[in-house]
Amino acid sequence: MSVFSDIVFGGLFQGSLYAMMAVGLALVWTTIGVFNFSHGVFMMLGAYFAWQLVAFGLPVVIAFPLAVIVMAGAGWILQASVVRPLIGRPNIVLVVVITTLAAGSLIENGALTVWGPRSKQLPSLIEGNTTIAGVGVSLHQIAIIVITPLILAALWSFLNRTRLGLALRAVAQNEDASQLVGLNVTALYGLAFAIAASLAGLAGIFMGGYRFMNPSMGADPLLKALIVVVFGGISSISGPIFAAYLIGFFEAASNYYFGLYWTPALLFLVLIGTLMVRPEGIFAGRSRGLA
Amino acid sequence: MTLLDIAIPSAPGRVTWNREAIGFVAGFLVLALLPLVFGDSYSRHVLIMIFIYAVVASNWDLSLGYGGVFNFGHLALFGIGVYAYSLLAKVAGVDPWIALFSSGVIATLAAVLVTIPILRLKGIYIILVTFGFAQLVMQVIISQSDLTGGTQGLVRVPGLYVFEHNMIRDGKLAYFYIALALLVASTLFLRLFVRSRAGASIVALRDNEEYAISRGVSLARQRMVTLAASAFFTGIAGAFYAAYQRNASIDVFGMSLATIILSMVLLGGTSTIYGAIIASFVLTVFSEAMADFGAWRPMITALLIIVIMLVYPSGLVGMIRAAWTWVAERVKRPA
Amino acid sequence: MSENPILSVEAVTSGYGRVTVLHDITLEAGRFGNVGLFGPNGHGKTTLLRTISGLVAPKSGRVAFDGKDITGLSARAIVATGLIHVPQGNKLFPDLTIGDCMALGAYSPRARPHEAENREKVVKLFPKLAERWRQRVRTLSGGERQMVSIGTALMSHPRLLILDEPTLGLAPKIKDELCAAVMDISKGGVPLVVVEQDIEFLLELSRQLFLVDHGAVKTEIRPGESLEHSEIMAMYFGH
Repeated sequence: MSVFSDIVFGGLFQGSLYAMMAVGLALVWTTIGVFNFSHGVFMMLGAYFAWQLVAFGLPVVIAFPLAVIVMAGAGWILQASVVRPLIGRPNIVLVVVITTLAAGSLIENGALTVWGPRSKQLPSLIEGNTTIAGVGVSLHQIAIIVITPLILAALWSFLNRTRLGLALRAVAQNEDASQLVGLNVTALYGLAFAIAASLAGLAGIFMGGYRFMNPSMGADPLLKALIVVVFGGISSISGPIFAAYLIGFFEAASNYYFGLYWTPALLFLVLIGTLMVRPEGIFAGRSRGLA
Repeated sequence: MTLLDIAIPSAPGRVTWNREAIGFVAGFLVLALLPLVFGDSYSRHVLIMIFIYAVVASNWDLSLGYGGVFNFGHLALFGIGVYAYSLLAKVAGVDPWIALFSSGVIATLAAVLVTIPILRLKGIYIILVTFGFAQLVMQVIISQSDLTGGTQGLVRVPGLYVFEHNMIRDGKLAYFYIALALLVASTLFLRLFVRSRAGASIVALRDNEEYAISRGVSLARQRMVTLAASAFFTGIAGAFYAAYQRNASIDVFGMSLATIILSMVLLGGTSTIYGAIIASFVLTVFSEAMADFGAWRPMITALLIIVIMLVYPSGLVGMIRAAWTWVAERVKRPA
Repeated sequence: MSENPILSVEAVTSGYGRVTVLHDITLEAGRFGNVGLFGPNGHGKTTLLRTISGLVAPKSGRVAFDGKDITGLSARAIVATGLIHVPQGNKLFPDLTIGDCMALGAYSPRARPHEAENREKVVKLFPKLAERWRQRVRTLSGGERQMVSIGTALMSHPRLLILDEPTLGLAPKIKDELCAAVMDISKGGVPLVVVEQDIEFLLELSRQLFLVDHGAVKTEIRPGESLEHSEIMAMYFGH
């Protein structure tokens, strides 16, 4: 029983973090059609902003939301500086990969210069531990497991229940037609990046609360988010969310049965297998567009 | 629109064979004479690194620029070369030259393997899968630490030898010429390849997939051929890198190296082969020149890459052209 | 009808990148009523409409809508003036529902107050859309998609409606239905600028015709100079 709950718990926890990251990647891809390779760096930056605000003496309840808001601004700025000027170029996908990679390197090295290489830690969302179904877990992790679906649900209803969300979905599908109904396409692009950066920043804050943070902490989550997105299909929001939890469970189970070392290789094999059968991801057919 | 725009810069074989051959021989003769000018081993080291980067970048240009296959696992092929050589030469005790050649073959096989999942994929999915491939090759190498040394890497990897020649006390002269020979062979191979029928068909496939397929070009086979062709010298470059550095480290899989090499490909202007080689010189020399800036160096490099990509969409080629116009105007004005 | 042209294009040169499609094109529209544009494919009709609606910035020249200079304004700013362009084809927003599209049509602040009233108009004009209100656009037929396109434009509360080949590729029955709807819109008081291959329909709909050829207006046909179908066909092919 304890094994089972161990895997369920681990899967839910990892899945939550992956979902937070992957949704932002998918949001930017569906709206703008580019891949943001500085997404992992956003995660790191969110954690460090939060750490800095806490270090200034702000209470966590103010510092964390403030860091998330600041990240929205950072996302907007990044979009305006290294993505927007390239829109309309024939090789935009490729060029944006390099500009976001370079921007990521710039920010990462900047963080290294500002905050130094020494590991830091954020306060937990909730202090303390508890035991559920025979598994000892921290309340911080429980909080993440609970908060993440709420945030994803909020994002979903923003996209599906508000006019601005509708506009964002529209831009994702047809840029010309969006302009012809009077949408501000550049602002919506900025908004997509801002939301993605906020979510990544929040994921960083979550991560900084239970693991030491350093300037390169975003690299691995970015990789995982990429796998999640490939797995779930990139042209939707719900696909990556399902895939994130699925991969979370897969990893938890694989870690238990095959060990930490073989899990990445296994994951890759499963990924290859999936793509050979369903090149656009397993959940791609179910729903398209930003829904 | 987009198809048209991509198609314009790369009509294969605009320059005649003779003219290209003359330029090729002249260019590499100049490179071969460089050790006469640069006697110190530091300069020669920089040149050797430039040659290695140039091989990796120009081969990447084959798959990325000519093939239009967004292979983000290219550096993994280089890394596979590094580790294949190190394991063969050090652990298995294979002769270094045989290990070097085998590494190229192993990288080629790996490229064929990566092609399988991406055969039916397009654009961004290829980026994701190949990127995942690179990261997972790294994970496997880290996890097999008994053999590969894990995150510590491998040290005391056997170097190359040339008869009884002392490779260590010659001011890196032997390694310089081996690296140059590697670059010459790789560049010759790439240029012959892109000017061949196979090269024409991969460009056709990139520019108008439906049409090319309807004309009998096999997408699957050409993609595999392109990636395999881009892998061989990349793998050998990795092996040479390991032999030259005498160690193997997982740093070769890192984002920073990938970013630098990709910048070389894009800065040089894709679908030129030579552009990537020139950009390798420019970026490496620039990076070395900034050695004094310490922690600021990667930031300045990143900023430079962004600025060039924003201002000169067609890379260094566009920049050189713009500079030429500027100079030409200045020269004209006083007259 | 009115004294001044509602839309005037003066010496506009436009195109994509280094390719120039429109060469110094000049036309005045709306002085006499609806305007029809025709001419061989690939000679700049669509580019002209895209330039008017701000999707393409003209390289030189001037575009004025209702006496106001709109040259170089963003598509969004032009939508805000009430000049609404229904683009060619029916790609639209494949994964939005019809209801979503109508809500988007009323996105601009100018159209927002008229949303309910316009929705009623659209539903009256295209009762089919009401039946499929919650259906995704990709699941609709070509004719229905064209109705969604035009309906979305009507939701934007147009003062001038530009239609780019509204009947392209439609089956005859649906085409008739759509033509009738377009006539209704015109009778409802919205002036139209229409690009169309179906000359019969164009002759019926518009009082002023322009033949666009090689990126310029080759012939203008004003009211009273009404031409026979055969003469127009000769203009098409007789050069």
